Amino acid sequence: MTSTKTQSVTLSINGQEYTANVEARLLLVHFIREVANQTGTHIGCDTTSCGACTVLINGVPGKSCTVFAVQVDGAQISTVEGLEQNNTLHPVQQGFFEEHGLQCGFCTPGMMMTAVALLQRNPDPTELEIRQAISGNLCRCTGYVNIVKSIQYAAKQMREAQADKVPVAAGAEGGAA
Amino acid sequence: MHFDGEQTIKTPIEKVWAYFMDPNAVAQCAPGFKSMEVISPTHFKPTLSVGVGVVKATFTLDVHLVDLTEPNHAAMQAHGMAAGSGVDMRAAMDLTSESATVTHMNWTADVNVSGTIASMGARLLEGTAHKLTANFFDCIRTKLEGG
Amino acid sequence: MTSTPIRGMGHSVKRKEDPRFLRGKGNYVDDVKLPGMLYMDIVRSPYAHAKILNIDASKALALPGVLAVITGKDLDAAGLAWMPTLMGDKQMVLPVDRVVYQAQEVAAVIATERYIAADGVALVEVEYEPLTPLVDPKKAMDADAPLVRPDREDKTNHIWHWEAGDAAATDAIFQQAEVVVHEDLYIPRIHVCSIETCGCVASWDRVNEKLTIYMTTQAPHVIRTVFSLVSKIPEHKIRIISPDIGGGFGGKVPVYPGYVIATVATLTTGHPIKWIEDRSENLQADSFARDYHISADLAAKADGTIQALRVKTLADHGAFDAAANPSKFPAGLFSIVTGSYNLQAAHVEVDGVYTNKPSGGVAYRCSFRVTEAVHTIERMVDSLALQLHRDPAALRFQNFIQPEQFPYHSPTGWEYDSGNYPAALTLAMDRIGYADLRREQAEKRARGELMGIGISTFTEIVGAGPSDTFDILGIKMFDSAEIRVHPTGSAIVRIGVQSQGQGHETTFAQIVAEELGLPVENITVEHGDTDTAPYGLGTYASRSTPTAGAATAVASRKIREKARHIAAHLLEVGPDDLEWENHQFQVKGVPSKAVTMTQIAFAAYTNHPKGMEAGLEAVDYYDPPNLTFPFGAYICVVDIDRGTGEVKIRRFVAVDDCGNIINPMIVEGQIHGGLTMGMAPALLEAITYDENGNIQQGSLMDYLLPTAMETPAWETAKTTTPSPHHPFGAKGVGESATVGAPPAIANAVVDALSHLGVTHIDIPITPWKVYQILEAAGAAEA
Repeated sequence: MTSTKTQSVTLSINGQEYTANVEARLLLVHFIREVANQTGTHIGCDTTSCGACTVLINGVPGKSCTVFAVQVDGAQISTVEGLEQNNTLHPVQQGFFEEHGLQCGFCTPGMMMTAVALLQRNPDPTELEIRQAISGNLCRCTGYVNIVKSIQYAAKQMREAQADKVPVAAGAEGGAA
Repeated sequence: MHFDGEQTIKTPIEKVWAYFMDPNAVAQCAPGFKSMEVISPTHFKPTLSVGVGVVKATFTLDVHLVDLTEPNHAAMQAHGMAAGSGVDMRAAMDLTSESATVTHMNWTADVNVSGTIASMGARLLEGTAHKLTANFFDCIRTKLEGG
Repeated sequence: MTSTPIRGMGHSVKRKEDPRFLRGKGNYVDDVKLPGMLYMDIVRSPYAHAKILNIDASKALALPGVLAVITGKDLDAAGLAWMPTLMGDKQMVLPVDRVVYQAQEVAAVIATERYIAADGVALVEVEYEPLTPLVDPKKAMDADAPLVRPDREDKTNHIWHWEAGDAAATDAIFQQAEVVVHEDLYIPRIHVCSIETCGCVASWDRVNEKLTIYMTTQAPHVIRTVFSLVSKIPEHKIRIISPDIGGGFGGKVPVYPGYVIATVATLTTGHPIKWIEDRSENLQADSFARDYHISADLAAKADGTIQALRVKTLADHGAFDAAANPSKFPAGLFSIVTGSYNLQAAHVEVDGVYTNKPSGGVAYRCSFRVTEAVHTIERMVDSLALQLHRDPAALRFQNFIQPEQFPYHSPTGWEYDSGNYPAALTLAMDRIGYADLRREQAEKRARGELMGIGISTFTEIVGAGPSDTFDILGIKMFDSAEIRVHPTGSAIVRIGVQSQGQGHETTFAQIVAEELGLPVENITVEHGDTDTAPYGLGTYASRSTPTAGAATAVASRKIREKARHIAAHLLEVGPDDLEWENHQFQVKGVPSKAVTMTQIAFAAYTNHPKGMEAGLEAVDYYDPPNLTFPFGAYICVVDIDRGTGEVKIRRFVAVDDCGNIINPMIVEGQIHGGLTMGMAPALLEAITYDENGNIQQGSLMDYLLPTAMETPAWETAKTTTPSPHHPFGAKGVGESATVGAPPAIANAVVDALSHLGVTHIDIPITPWKVYQILEAAGAAEA
């Protein structure tokens, strides 16, 4: 057998660019874990069933074990390592901490990425909507009750932060119009 | 797994028998047929690519024709391996003349699958095997009646 | 006075583990990368039973990047083709001439890259001669049954027979009994399926002659000793590191062949070898749980007084007896089967048999077969209630062991330390609104709607165990803690148990915080590295708090005793003039004259009394005087869809009593998780085999774990009945909910269908099973 064919692929992971020559069959999750050395994204199964490998691909949650790196050449990938910004935990991370949303921690990165995506499109989800959103992320430790609470905590934090940011209507304050 | 079936073929019994004794003709109907090594008139090794659910495997089958009683009865034994999977099969066919131009066939097949295909494709295995077997005999009938 | 709060016992301290997990900075085995590391993948048998005629590795070896293919013949030459199991049997590492279960390891490929190792596996050609497998354990003793283990001297599929209780006394009661209830129960094989699979990175340092293995193990010290005995490498030259573990639940206790082959590979190549199994390998080959075929009889008086229990069990152990039980207990702690009830006599028998399936038996959060025992007695009590037309709660109250009967000697020889079953059940009934539910059920039944209420009042038995009865391969089941207090008042604690998500880095720090009066932030807990942790037997069967937790408290008290003398020296009083109050030493009667542990710690290094050793540390190896007996009362409400047979859990109230609680937040999390792993076998999970020994649930497509959609919003509550013998009255809780939940659910379903003539349903209670029952009873909706 001759040398294996590779092709160049460039991925931006949490804002940092990684370019490498990879085989077409290299899974995105292995690119993230082995080529980019970000081991926060985990592998829990081999049939796309568990969601431990969930990352955001151009903002959309996807199971990185079922995507080839070459398929998403040029994409922006967000993983758990990118959630903390300026030494401040993301509200989702904070929620999981406050509400004991993790035990062994193995499903947690994928679970949190799904939660981040959910809250981006639905800032005030009901409990059922949260459970539906995370139904593709399996957890063996927590029984999901505290994960739901963690996401509700994060949702509340994010809504309040957003409310703080809303500009006061023009003219409502005294002063120059 | 056990499957059986019957069909009526608008072809004389001698022609049906001859068809089954020609491995190259039969191979045209084998699912996922890729290539074949013919060792003797009753011993051949076809390579087939077969999928069940998400698992596809390329099997090399070792096939022997046995119990030949021209033109009424024939049986076949096959054993095959693919990476991580194994298949054992025994099939038999009984032919009777309904008329000078019409033949009636009864067939049975016993199939045992082991390994990855059986454990990953468990829920789909019986349905897929049944479909492949039925398709095979349908295909034979079509070819016989057509030409 | 300390300004920083201590936050020891009873505080819901946020977890010290979380900062790294939340940032994706955990260190799980597959995260470990060592220079020069190679990858191992395993060739597995497609057949459940077959002779190996030939293994041709030539095509694999010809693939660039494949460095070696290891077979049973290679291991055999080094005397390593077989290894001892924890139950005194032996197990193949790699087979020489025959395979005995589907997915059994047959050869291993070592390659430079993960994907090349997998390619190599596909290229190894193995010629098999299939043999008839033994799949039905009930046929294991037939004269014409295939012999699973021709290597054994006894040419039989029978492994052992085990009994507990008093057969004669039990028979005598049954002969006179006014009422006898009989049930046959099958508790199917299931698989823990922690989200992280098993694996290791084995690394031989040939310069320093030291073997280091990162391993998904719940018991690193035992592994080190076993590996030393088998490999002849001296134990001080072996280091087993259990890093962050993504869930254990018992599935990471056994020694899997992959660990041994990886070790052989590193010893021969001199390179670190990484082996991480796929999920399908994990499901198909790793240690299972349950698979008990049970026949039970309960004898009672017509007034409902339960008198005796008789249980006969057939245990399907797969091809090797590799269950991780304490060595004198081949059926684990199954004899707890008399449960929370005051029986006069009981007789329990278990027979273990071999079949052509993977080995195991006690994984999946079962406390050593307590899940099977509790399921049996709770189903039997409900069966009796049904036969006598008695309310199942009332029947339980009538038969409970009463609080004043503790310590209670059970008919099978256990001494339950403490309990208050009536209080737990009363609280549960209160929380769920039991009386209202029964009224609602009657109304719904009149309208043809199916609603059921199920109760489970269980007694757990954990904390293995006292050295006179408990050992693993001869090693007694004590556990340990080593505590060192630094001059500036912080401490490091090293323990012999190993967390896989239970939060030990937080809870054990809380124990020390409480005992020593040091703020919990100032205490670091380490575990899992055999080079530094004191010898422990590991974490499984809910034993950490009862054993290592006790050791931590006792070691702390040794330190406190020395601290007393330093305090006396600092305060210039006699040691007996001091009392430990408010987390500090105070002069009796003069509480303002006090000194904190932080001050004492500093003095231990700078101003210790003459004649006393400097420093402030202690070690304790704790031999528990008894097991502990957590208990609970669970009530489950189900609604059954007559069109689909689907069972929906409407409400589930879990009252747990685990004695004194270290961290309520963590205990509640354990119960949520345990309940979910109790619901799973009750409604969703089972591992079955076809007549050829093919597993029918070889991947997560077919083995159905509960998602957030099936899992209800669990409701929890507690009672507190401390253990009288445990240093801080704690009992352990990790598995209680998995033990108690399945019969609550099964009882609820039977209760929903009993008016249709249903008296028993085996788990898992799938919609199809229920639908067939409804159809047969004419109660299904089209």
